[in-house]
Amino acid sequence: MSEGLTWTVYDANTMTQAEIYGKVLCEIGKKNEKIVGLSADLAKSTKIGLFAEKFPERFFNVGIAEQNLFGIAAGLAKSGLIPFVSTMAVFTSMRACEQVRTDICYQNLNCKIIATHAGTSFGQAGTTHHCTEDIAIMRSFANMTVIVPADGIETANAIKACVDYPGPVYIRIGRGFEPKFYDNEDYGFEIGKAITLVDGSDITLICCGTTVLQAVEAARHLKENDDLSVRVLNLHTIKPIDKDAIYEAVCETRRIITFEDHNTIGGLGSAVADIIAESGKGCAFEKVGIPDCFCIVGYPDDLQNYYKLDSDGIIEKVRIVMGKDFEEDDDWEDEV
Amino acid sequence: MVNQTDIIKSTIILRAMLPVMKILVSDDKKMNAKFSGLNAKVQFKAKNDNDETGACLIFKEGNLEIEQRICSNPDIEFTFSDIIKMNDFFCGKPVLPKISGWLNFFLLVKIFFLLFGMKILMPDSRPNTPEKKRLKVKMSFYMITTALSQYNKAGDSEMVKWTKKQPDRIYQISVDEDIAAYLRIKAGKSKAGRGTYTKKRPFVHLKFNGVDGAFPVVMNDVDMVTAVRNGLLVIEGSPEYGRDLGDFMVRIQNMLV
Repeated sequence: MSEGLTWTVYDANTMTQAEIYGKVLCEIGKKNEKIVGLSADLAKSTKIGLFAEKFPERFFNVGIAEQNLFGIAAGLAKSGLIPFVSTMAVFTSMRACEQVRTDICYQNLNCKIIATHAGTSFGQAGTTHHCTEDIAIMRSFANMTVIVPADGIETANAIKACVDYPGPVYIRIGRGFEPKFYDNEDYGFEIGKAITLVDGSDITLICCGTTVLQAVEAARHLKENDDLSVRVLNLHTIKPIDKDAIYEAVCETRRIITFEDHNTIGGLGSAVADIIAESGKGCAFEKVGIPDCFCIVGYPDDLQNYYKLDSDGIIEKVRIVMGKDFEEDDDWEDEV
Repeated sequence: MVNQTDIIKSTIILRAMLPVMKILVSDDKKMNAKFSGLNAKVQFKAKNDNDETGACLIFKEGNLEIEQRICSNPDIEFTFSDIIKMNDFFCGKPVLPKISGWLNFFLLVKIFFLLFGMKILMPDSRPNTPEKKRLKVKMSFYMITTALSQYNKAGDSEMVKWTKKQPDRIYQISVDEDIAAYLRIKAGKSKAGRGTYTKKRPFVHLKFNGVDGAFPVVMNDVDMVTAVRNGLLVIEGSPEYGRDLGDFMVRIQNMLV
């Protein structure tokens, strides 16, 4: 069923995360000879195949052997190269979990992992191909940087930025049907720094990946119809997390909802919750994502709707959280 | 015949205007000296149908507290035959209340002195020393934030409609480190507060450029738009809601003068 659903978008070359990733990798590969590419028989699907065509002598297909893929990448990094490793997120974070942790992270190697088909982006492929646990796994590894770009443009920025960023980096992207959010690359992307897309003082929506576009759409709707001043943060880097932006959101809006195409245990929401707890401030808070269950099977758009990750769901959640108090709230006597 | 507007007006006078007497007593040096060490109770009350409404000025060691009740055994008592007359009295119109406690003549003089000092709030009162300008600005902003809250609590239909639709929001006014007041609104409820609200970012923040920036606005020498244009004021946040708030301020002011 899913085989025919590849790159049907009218201009996939400019819109998809994976496509842009492949092109950007070719660009930077031209400038930096230390960059090498690796895949486990998924070069075409993950778009690292573009790099393979351009630089065949710097590309290694290890076959369907993900543990081996990361072990080899660790060796190449150890020898001074900058390996870009691409396979599906589910195989990166779970099948090759030990190799990523021990071979790469433990040695703090300069290895860049581009994990595709993350979250529910390949929802129709079933549970074996869903990947709603990878952020939780990857952010728990010492030395690992975790980035979840909002779209293809941000993926390009993340790829470029990670070349000179020391240590292992995990960049989590979708399958390729994700819509474009940014118009161009000049919006101030910096690893570890959240982007305020919409300013507001009533509530903050903290998002990553595909939920960013949906949250901005929801904020616009809530402004027009509910007269709400909604702040939207694109927290593209889950680790190292932008504590200042979250702390500011806690202090200034006192209501936060996180939206992520990931399990609500251990992902973006949990990372944000840690900072809220550390702040010691009262904050009405909710994590929205895939709850503690295996995701149902379906098309990504339907799954986003089912799990309240589309703009309708976000609007619904905002209205609920706006009704919550962030502190004892029974003193309405005027100070005189 | 007392109508709803008269009741709202008396609520604002008793609960928003009278309390800023505290600032007059604490911040004005002459006034402070006059009441230094004083212990006394002064009652203002008016008949309201079969009931009485009023506020009591309680001086403890020269410090003033205002209590919204009819207190027992006041040293001086001002009684008005109805709340319309009480409203007029506090708005500077010639009304003579029944006064009991003439034996406390010196206290009575001091109270008249204090009431006279409250005229600084009147639009036509134009102080010319920096201290008095500061006092007027501080008293005006403290009064207006409480007046807005009381206007809502008293049930003005327009204000209630406006506050009801809002989530938890702060309307902050700040002049400098010492002069700041805010209005918190949440789903129909309201609260006036002193100082800077630190638990949340203001939804609308009127930042005046010191007393010199605020004074022309308080005096109605310039409107808000001109004040912004001339650098006297910076308005951060929703312009629509800032305008609404300004409209309610004008309505309250028109009611009091």
